Amino acid sequence: GTEEPTGDTKKKIDILLKAVGDTPIMKTKKWAVERTRTIQGLVDFIKKFLKLMASEQLFIYVNQSFAPSPDQEVGTLYECFGSDGKLVLHYCKTQAWG
Amino acid sequence: ISCSMAGEEDFFLEEKRFKQYCEEFIKHSQQIGDGWEWRTSKDLGDGYLSKTHFQVRNRNIPSDLKEKNNDNIEQMLFTRVEESLDDSQVAGVCATEEVIRYEYHILYSSSYQVPVLYFRACFLDGRPLTLDEIWKSVHACYQARLLEGPWDTITQQEHPLLGQPFFVLHPCRTNEFMSSILTGSRKQNRHTNYIILWLSIVGPVVGLNLPLSYAKLGPEQNTNTD
Repeated sequence: GTEEPTGDTKKKIDILLKAVGDTPIMKTKKWAVERTRTIQGLVDFIKKFLKLMASEQLFIYVNQSFAPSPDQEVGTLYECFGSDGKLVLHYCKTQAWG
Repeated sequence: ISCSMAGEEDFFLEEKRFKQYCEEFIKHSQQIGDGWEWRTSKDLGDGYLSKTHFQVRNRNIPSDLKEKNNDNIEQMLFTRVEESLDDSQVAGVCATEEVIRYEYHILYSSSYQVPVLYFRACFLDGRPLTLDEIWKSVHACYQARLLEGPWDTITQQEHPLLGQPFFVLHPCRTNEFMSSILTGSRKQNRHTNYIILWLSIVGPVVGLNLPLSYAKLGPEQNTNTD
């Protein structure tokens, strides 16, 4: 693959995905994701990976206490909440209204 | 906190706790100038969180442009104006950006024992948005779910304290999805502000995004349970 510069100029960040509750667990949990990928982009990716329907809802949380808005970039989240070289995100399949 | 027969914890929010979380929320809002305030109703002494903000929305965007992001939309709109429009069409294109005034209220529901998000929206000339316009303005990522059951999602109701018509995001599943995430964080003794967590989830559905700094509220570990 292509080489990437180390340090702050790395284009991708490491994300560790953890399932919450009854949500299916992803076989691969650790992903290198482009900094500019949005939360919504990540949600779509996880839903595809888990073979969920478009209308099923999946939410992503940081710090287990906050859901970043859909347009939030993961690079920013990494700067704010990353540690040990990765960003831990929890995801949960749930109905949020009704 | 009550416990269901299955041994799972329910996280029904008591009104006192609601007010405490709101207080913490307001404090942070004031620190960052996010515009939330606490209002009390004269007769009843009940209080609620309130915020007003303005959003610019693009209307009448041709469907082939909907896929592109906002920067491209503006570029393409201007290109179209230069290339192919005559005077009668220009007026229509200029009306494509509109300013909408949103007013959000967070009230406590004693019947559901959860917070509930009420909101209303109007154009600058005072015309309120219709329910249909509200549904159309829901963030793209929730549209698939919304289309399955719009009446389960956002409807119009009388505001419990003000008696005026407001839109409301249905709260009957709130306890369910809050419990899933709170169970995990509670096990790790994290202090989680219920209002912040809840609003960060439901807010974006109706155009309300919480700044990231709310996520850092409270110590990472809290040795005392709530």
